[in-house]
Amino acid sequence: MKRLHLVTWLVAAVFVAACGSTGGGSTNTNSYSGKTIKLGAILSITGAGGVYGPQSRDGMNLAVKQINNSGGVNGAQISLTVKDDASLQTQSSQVAQTMIQADQDLALLGPTLSNSAVAVHPLAESLKTPILAVSTTGINIVPNCNFPATVACKYVFRDSLGEETAIPDNIQSYAADAHPSTAVLLVAQDDKFSSDGGLIVQNTVGKYGINLLKTIKFNKAEADLSPYVTQAVQLHPDVIFITSLGGIPANIMTEARKQGWQGQFLGGNGFNTATVSKNAGANGLGARSASAWYLGNSFPSNADFVTAFKAEYNHDPDQFAAQGYAGIKIIADAAKRANLTFSDIAGDRDKLRAAMETVNIQTPLGPFQFTSTHDVKQTVWIIKMDGQGGFTLVHQIAAS
Amino acid sequence: MGQQILNAVFIGSIYALFAVGYTLVFGVLDILNLAHSAVFMLGAAVTYTLVVNHGESFWLACALAIVASALMGLVIEYICLRPLRRRRAPPIAALISTIGLALIIVAAIEQGRPGTLFAWLWVDGANPVTMPPGTFPNPTWHLAGLTLEGSKLAVVPVSIALMLVLGYVMRFTQVGRGLRAVAENPRAARLMGIDVDRLISLTLVISSALGGLAGILFGVALGGISPYIGRDSVEVRGLAVIVLGGMGSIPGAVLGGYLLGFIEVLAVVLLGSNVRAGVAFAALFLMLVLRPQGLFGAQLRERI
Repeated sequence: MKRLHLVTWLVAAVFVAACGSTGGGSTNTNSYSGKTIKLGAILSITGAGGVYGPQSRDGMNLAVKQINNSGGVNGAQISLTVKDDASLQTQSSQVAQTMIQADQDLALLGPTLSNSAVAVHPLAESLKTPILAVSTTGINIVPNCNFPATVACKYVFRDSLGEETAIPDNIQSYAADAHPSTAVLLVAQDDKFSSDGGLIVQNTVGKYGINLLKTIKFNKAEADLSPYVTQAVQLHPDVIFITSLGGIPANIMTEARKQGWQGQFLGGNGFNTATVSKNAGANGLGARSASAWYLGNSFPSNADFVTAFKAEYNHDPDQFAAQGYAGIKIIADAAKRANLTFSDIAGDRDKLRAAMETVNIQTPLGPFQFTSTHDVKQTVWIIKMDGQGGFTLVHQIAAS
Repeated sequence: MGQQILNAVFIGSIYALFAVGYTLVFGVLDILNLAHSAVFMLGAAVTYTLVVNHGESFWLACALAIVASALMGLVIEYICLRPLRRRRAPPIAALISTIGLALIIVAAIEQGRPGTLFAWLWVDGANPVTMPPGTFPNPTWHLAGLTLEGSKLAVVPVSIALMLVLGYVMRFTQVGRGLRAVAENPRAARLMGIDVDRLISLTLVISSALGGLAGILFGVALGGISPYIGRDSVEVRGLAVIVLGGMGSIPGAVLGGYLLGFIEVLAVVLLGSNVRAGVAFAALFLMLVLRPQGLFGAQLRERI
């Protein structure tokens, strides 16, 4: 009898020990209990990109709050630190390095601007830290973060629909609607996002019978764009392409309308936030762009996201907020399945990276999975500015 | 083409107004006041803050911003210049000192966020902001195929009027004579009983007021007011203008300003838009090679 007792206790002890070990406990909903998942976000809260960064931040913070309030990730709380890079590439790199090495963050999100990503993403790759881009849509963000080297970067991911998909969809959609024949492109040559967008425009317009009369380049820091706009307007194009970001689109639109031009503005990701629409005001009415998200989309988790965001911040979310929110959800899902040890940061980063590749969740952007190149494939929303700080839907293009 | 001429006249007026302040200090003191571009930015920033964050009327805000810029001139004199003059430091020390002050001013504005030390001065950090529409009258007229914008047009008569007033003061008033005397030879001027220090302060005050006003006109007409507008828009171009026009010559600065405005716009039209940034430097280089004293400058003497 005594022996049976002993054996029973031994078996029970072994059973408890096996369950308690972190190796096999990933499906246990509290195996990370008491731990903190440290994430860092490098965003442009101020500077040229400062119209986008705060939206990403707000979306991320909402997701963190929701996750933490409903038990965390397997019991672990997420701690998200957001730091401003003032839209400067050098500051972005410095912040990233601090977060990876000094703060020992598990993973990073950002940076906001493609121009900063060219420095930050290779840094994260070399320091073997997973980084999820939530708003960079330029060329060679993924998978070739070390372009022109063609070795794919393993640690860089993005949930922000690339311009290589968005711009052609926008042009195709407008060409089908209005059959424009001529266009002028205005591009900020010293900004990666803008010049990448410009390149895509140049490579796409021919396909739809649009004659690109001129490409007008300027520097992003120039305050006085009137000579460039005058040049564009004097060519009387049907379309003016604006692939810039920050304050530049509204600036160009206002100046062009002042000079009497009545044609169509077509743009890139830089249009897709309320501040740009508001600053352009009536001058931006009808300006079209392709967006990765639309306020009224009917994906399962979108309505809840919009309601929660409005309740928290008293204004509508935008594409950047949705992508930031989705970004946290993606990382949280990956963290859940990654069997994190919380004692070996390098090993945990690798595990998280591997788990991110197999993410498959519902987000306000739609059902989300990374492609084999850590990129995004999703529905594209063609939107146009409503002249009052918002957007209306023109078309919905399913993922091909 | 007519529209481009208008663009050139507008930007030329800004450059001219800015450069006059630059050249005034150089003429009287023989130093380049590189804090001038920071004062330019401050003029625009203070006007914006007063209108948007403190609810002042636009015209009062402009007046106060000009006063603030003028006071900054005194700060430049008392902190950057006078202590070095007392110690007979070489002019380059004063130059570096003004660079330092410029960096401090820009950084102070850059750090301005709600709840920080400088929130009374600026709350938008590194963001570019624009005066809300309706703050000031800004009618737009369409005439003979040209677009004429009120705020841009206003710059021209204001700039010209100020430059004429300054020219008059320099030529026909006691103060102007004193300034010219100090410019000629400060020691002799002191021996003649002129209060050199006071006149130098006056020079800085006038120069900074002009710089601040240029900033206000720039910010009002173009929007996009940020801590970097001085550095990005006028700092180096102002230098090119005074070299073009002759360092120390006020008519030279005026002419140089308009000249640079026209050269820039012409370059955009003829050569393509991406050369605009380099045009100021090219013009600067050419002038230094062909006629180092500039259009109206006196023969350049060796000085550092």
